[in-house]
Amino acid sequence: MKISYNWLTEFIDLDLSPQETAEKLTLIGLEVEEVAAYGNRLEGVLVGEVLEVNDHPNADRLRICKVDTGNETVQIICGADNVTGGQKVPVATVGTSLPVETDDGEPFTIREVKLRGKESRGMICAEDELGLGDDHSGIMVLDQRLAPGTPLHEALDLYRDTIIDIELTPNRPDATCHLGVARDLAAALSLELSRPFETTFAETEPLKEIDIEIEAPEKCHRYAGKMVRNISIDDSPSWLQHRLKALGVRPVNNIVDITNYVMFELGQPLHAFDADTLKGDKIVVKDFEEEITFETLDHVQRNCPAGTLFICDGEGPVAIAGVMGGVDSEVSDQTRNILIESAYFDPASIRKTAKEQVLQTDASYRFERGVDPQLQRIAAERTARLIAEVAGGTVVDGCTDVHPVRTEAHSLSLRKSYVNRLLGTDFSTDEIAGLLDGLEFGLLEKNESVLRYRIPTFRPDLEREVDLIEEVGRLYDYNNIPSPGHGKFISPEPITEWEKMLSKSKETAKGLRFREIYSNSLMPEEEAGWLGKLDDMIHTLNPISSDMTTLRPSLLYGFLKATAYNFNRKARQVRFFEVGNVFEQAEKGTYHRGILEETNILLGLAGFKTVEHWKTEPEHYDAFDLKASVRSFLEQLDIGKHVDTSVDENNVLHYNVQDDTIGKLYSVSDEMLSHFDITLPAVIAEFSLTQIFRIRRKIGKQPYEAVSKFPSFEFDFAVIVDQSVRAGDLLKSIRETAGPSLRDLQIFDVFEGESLGKKKKSLAFRLSFLDKNKTLTINEVEPIINKVVKALEKQYSAKLRS
Amino acid sequence: MLDDIEALKEEIAHVTITNEEELETFRLEFLSRKGKVPAMFSRMREVPNEEKAKVGKAMNAVKNLAEKTYEEHKKRLQRKETAALSAKDDLSLPAPPYAAGSYHPLTQTLEEMKEIFYRLGFSIADGPEVEDDFHNFTALNFPPNHPARDEQDTFFIRKSDDPETEDLVLRTHTSPVQIRLMQDKEPPIRTIMPGRVYRNEAVSPKSYFLFHQVEALYIDTDVSVAELKETLISFAQLMFGSDVKYRLRPGFFPFTEPSLEMDIWWETNGSGRWLEILGSGMVDPNVLKAVDIDPEKYTGFAWGMGVERIALLRHQIDDIRIFYDNDVRFLEQFH
Repeated sequence: MKISYNWLTEFIDLDLSPQETAEKLTLIGLEVEEVAAYGNRLEGVLVGEVLEVNDHPNADRLRICKVDTGNETVQIICGADNVTGGQKVPVATVGTSLPVETDDGEPFTIREVKLRGKESRGMICAEDELGLGDDHSGIMVLDQRLAPGTPLHEALDLYRDTIIDIELTPNRPDATCHLGVARDLAAALSLELSRPFETTFAETEPLKEIDIEIEAPEKCHRYAGKMVRNISIDDSPSWLQHRLKALGVRPVNNIVDITNYVMFELGQPLHAFDADTLKGDKIVVKDFEEEITFETLDHVQRNCPAGTLFICDGEGPVAIAGVMGGVDSEVSDQTRNILIESAYFDPASIRKTAKEQVLQTDASYRFERGVDPQLQRIAAERTARLIAEVAGGTVVDGCTDVHPVRTEAHSLSLRKSYVNRLLGTDFSTDEIAGLLDGLEFGLLEKNESVLRYRIPTFRPDLEREVDLIEEVGRLYDYNNIPSPGHGKFISPEPITEWEKMLSKSKETAKGLRFREIYSNSLMPEEEAGWLGKLDDMIHTLNPISSDMTTLRPSLLYGFLKATAYNFNRKARQVRFFEVGNVFEQAEKGTYHRGILEETNILLGLAGFKTVEHWKTEPEHYDAFDLKASVRSFLEQLDIGKHVDTSVDENNVLHYNVQDDTIGKLYSVSDEMLSHFDITLPAVIAEFSLTQIFRIRRKIGKQPYEAVSKFPSFEFDFAVIVDQSVRAGDLLKSIRETAGPSLRDLQIFDVFEGESLGKKKKSLAFRLSFLDKNKTLTINEVEPIINKVVKALEKQYSAKLRS
Repeated sequence: MLDDIEALKEEIAHVTITNEEELETFRLEFLSRKGKVPAMFSRMREVPNEEKAKVGKAMNAVKNLAEKTYEEHKKRLQRKETAALSAKDDLSLPAPPYAAGSYHPLTQTLEEMKEIFYRLGFSIADGPEVEDDFHNFTALNFPPNHPARDEQDTFFIRKSDDPETEDLVLRTHTSPVQIRLMQDKEPPIRTIMPGRVYRNEAVSPKSYFLFHQVEALYIDTDVSVAELKETLISFAQLMFGSDVKYRLRPGFFPFTEPSLEMDIWWETNGSGRWLEILGSGMVDPNVLKAVDIDPEKYTGFAWGMGVERIALLRHQIDDIRIFYDNDVRFLEQFH
C-alpha cells in the first residue's frame, strides 16, 4: 500500500527524512517494501528570457546567448537550433543537478565552463534533460507570459513527493490510510496527531430526497448517505491530482478524485452516485437468491452468484457492494447532483465476492480487512464538504445514517505481570501506559498491576490481552528487549530413531557414491499413467498447471526427468539418489483416512559405468552394479540378513522381509526410456524407508557376534539345471539345507553352451563353512554337501557337474 | 700391503655410478682381467707366509665388495630401465573418472541448521505433507474465511461438504507438526520440524511452488520474547558467523502473538541490505487452547524459516528453480 510522505506531514510534524521514516515504520510493524521518489521540483531551474543570440566565433553549431534570469543577465552557450531572441526558456543555473545521469552514473550538475573559449554560466534545457518528456529536438520553449526568474516548479506546477510502499499485514485495517499510518508514527515518535477536518457531528435528520434501506444487515452494518447538489464536474485542481498521481492513481474527475482522496486519507471507501440516475429515489442494500448479471464500471459483464451483496435503486442493482459501481449510475460530465455512499460491509462477504470476481479494488482491499465501523458519518461529511469546496454546489442538509448493527468500543485489561512474563521485560504500568499513549486508546483505569483500556473501533485486531502486549512490544521495539545472554538448559530428548535412520540412509547412499537430487513431488497426470493406475493416485483439486496435477506415487519420475535433463546436456552417466515422500490412495491411510504417505529412497544408475579411457573400455551400468550397492545399503541399515529376494515374471527383483515387500530393483524398460528421451540404459531400486523402519524396530538391536578363532573350510561344486531355474532359488535351497555352519555362499561361474545340452546352464557354487568351536574338515563338510546336492537334484532336477 | 688393500677398498666404496657407461668403466677398472682387483691378488707372492691368511682375507673382502657394488648398480640400472619402458606405469597418466557421492545443497544447509539446533537442545520431529484443514489452519488460529488464509495459496487434495470428513490440503507450512507434537506430548517441548511445504504460486526465480521449511517450537513455563531473542541471536551467530548484524521487527502470523521477524544485514559487492531470514513469535494462546495447553501456565515461542532462502543466500544463487533442475554441473559444486 502506497503512502505519501508529504501527506503524512499534514497529520504530524515529522522530523525524519523519508528514508528514516520508512525505517521507523518497518521497526513498528508496517514493513516498508520500497521507498521511491515521485516527480522532481527541479530546484535551481528558473524561467529565463533570451535577450540576444550571437554566433560563436569558434564553432559553427554553437550560439552565444544573453539570458535574463530575473536577478541577473548571464551568458550561456547553447547548441540548439531553435533558440531565438525573446523566447522564455528553462535555465538550469550553476550548481543545479538535473535528473539525468552522466556516463559514470553521477547526476549531471551544471558548472561554469568555457566552451571553445567562451564562458558559459548555466544551461538552457531541452525537455528530456529536465525529465519532463522525451523531446531532445531543441530547447523547451515556455509560455511567453512568464516572468524571468520564476522558479520552474512554479511556472509548470511541478510536484515532488516520496512514496513509501508498505506491505500491510492482514491484521492492520487501521493502517490502510494516511491517518492511520500517521497515528502509528505519532505513537512511536511521541508526536501530536492533528486532524485537518471535523470529527464530531450532531445528530441530524435523514435526507428527504432519497430513501435508504438495508435488507441484509448481517452483510451491511451501516450505510450513510449524504448529498451535494449543483456541482460542476471538472478536472481536479492540481494539488488533488498531484496527491493521487503520486500514489499511482489516475485522476478521473473532481468527484471521483475526492472520494478516492478521502479513502486514502481516512481509510473509508466511498462511492458517488449520480443521484438523478437512481430510480425511485431509493437505495436498497440487499442480496439475491439467484445469480445476477451486472456490468461494472470497468465495462465487464459479471455473473454474480446468489448471496452477492448489491446496492440497488428502485429498479435493480447499481453497484456490487464494496467492490465496484455499475456503469448506469456512474458520475458523468452531465452529473449535477450526487449521492455519497459511506458504508460498513461485512469483511467476509466482501472477501468472498472479490475472490469470486477475481477483482481486488482499493475499496474491497479495505472492506475485507474491516473499516472502522464508526467512521461512516465522518467520512461522508468530509467528502461532501470537500466536494462543495472543489466542485462547487451545495451540501444538502441532513444525512441518512442507517445503522442496524452497531459496533461499540470494548474494553481490555492488561496485567503488568503478563506483559513482563511474555516479553521478558520489567515494565511498570506507567511505562506501559507511556508506550501505548498515542495509539488513541482510552485509558480507563491504571493501578500498580493492571491497566484497562477502551479499544477504539478502528482496531478490530485488538481482541485479547495478548494483542495489547504485541502493541507494547512493537512500540518499545523488540531490539530494545534485553536478551539474557544465556539460554535456559532444558534436559534434551534423544534424537528420534526415525531421524537417525533417515540420516543414516542419506549418508550411506552418499558413501556408496550416489549424488542426491531433489525432485518435484507433483507430476503430470499423463506421466503418472506410466507409473500405475491413476485411480490409485492422489491428485490436487486446483493444480497450478497440467504439468503438476498428481502427487508422485514413486520417486522414479524425478529420477528419469533428472537423468534426461543431464543426458541432454552431454552427461554420459548419472548415479542419483533421492529421499522423499510418495503418495497413494489407501483405505486406511498413514495419517489421514484414504491417504498412504510413505518415505522412499531411490537409488538409480544410468549410462556408462566406465568410459573410453586408456585404462577402461566403455561399459554400461547393469542391474548387478546396482544390486551390489543395494546389498551394501541394506547391510548398513542392519537389515541385510533379514531380507529375501524374489524375481517376478517381468524380471523385477523384489526385496522382502517375511511377507512384506520393502523395495524392488529393475532395469527401466526401453519403452519408458524412449518416452523420456533417454538413450542409455538405466536401472533403479526403490525402497520404502517407512517399511524398513518398521522392520528395524521389530528386529531390535543385534548383539555383537564373536569372531571365530578357527579357519573356514571352502568347497566348490557345479550343477547343470534348466535355463528357467532361478539362481536365487538354488541359493535359497542350498542355504536351507546346509544349515548354520554355511557362512558364505557365492556363485563363481555361470555358463551356457551347446556342450551342456539345449536350454541348460551350469552354475558353480563356492560354499564356505565355519564352526565357532572347531576347525572343520572334509569329514564334517562332505555329508552336508551331499545333502545339499541331493536336495538340488530333487527340487530342481539339478545334475552335479563333474 | 694392508694399507694398499685398505685404500683400494675405500676407493671402491666411494665410487659413483649413475649410468651404464660408468658401470662398464667400473668393471674395467676394478674387475676385468687387467683391473685393480686381479692386480692386487697378483701381489700375494710378495706376502710372507705367516701373513698370507690375514692378507688373503682382506683381499677377498675387497673383491666381494667390488663384485657386490657392480651387481647392485647393475640391478638398479636395469630396474630403472624397465620402469621407464612401461608406458602404463607412468603415474602422470590421468586416472579414470570416479564420481563421488554428494548431498544436495538443500540437504547440506538443512544439516547445518539441524546441527545448530541440536546444540541448542532441540529435538526433531516430522509430519505428513498431505495435511487436514484442522492441523494446517484451524488449530493454528486461521479462522475460516480469514484473509490470512489467502496469504498462503493452497493446493487442495480433498474438499468435502460432509462435516465428518476433514478437507485435505498440501501443507502450506511445517507448523501443523507443532500441533501434532503438542497434541502428543506434555510441555516442556523443544523441537524442530523440518519438511517440504507447498504453495500454489506462479513459478519465478524468487518462488517455487514447493520449498522446505524448518520450524522450531519451545513450550515451557515462563518462555518470553527475551528468550526467543536469545535463541534467534544464537542461531544467527552460529549460522552466519558471530559478527552477523541483525535486527528484529514486528510481523504478523496468525499462530503467534506477538510476532517478530528477523533480518540480517547482507553485503555483496560492497553494497548491503536487510534480508528477512525468518519469522517467529510467541505461540498464540488460541493455538495453545486448541491443543489443550493452559496458556496461563505455559508460554512458548515458535519460529520458521525457508531452507531454500538460506541456501540461496549462502551460495549467492539468484534463481530458486535451479535447486530442482538437478543439473549435475550444479550439484557437483557442493561437497
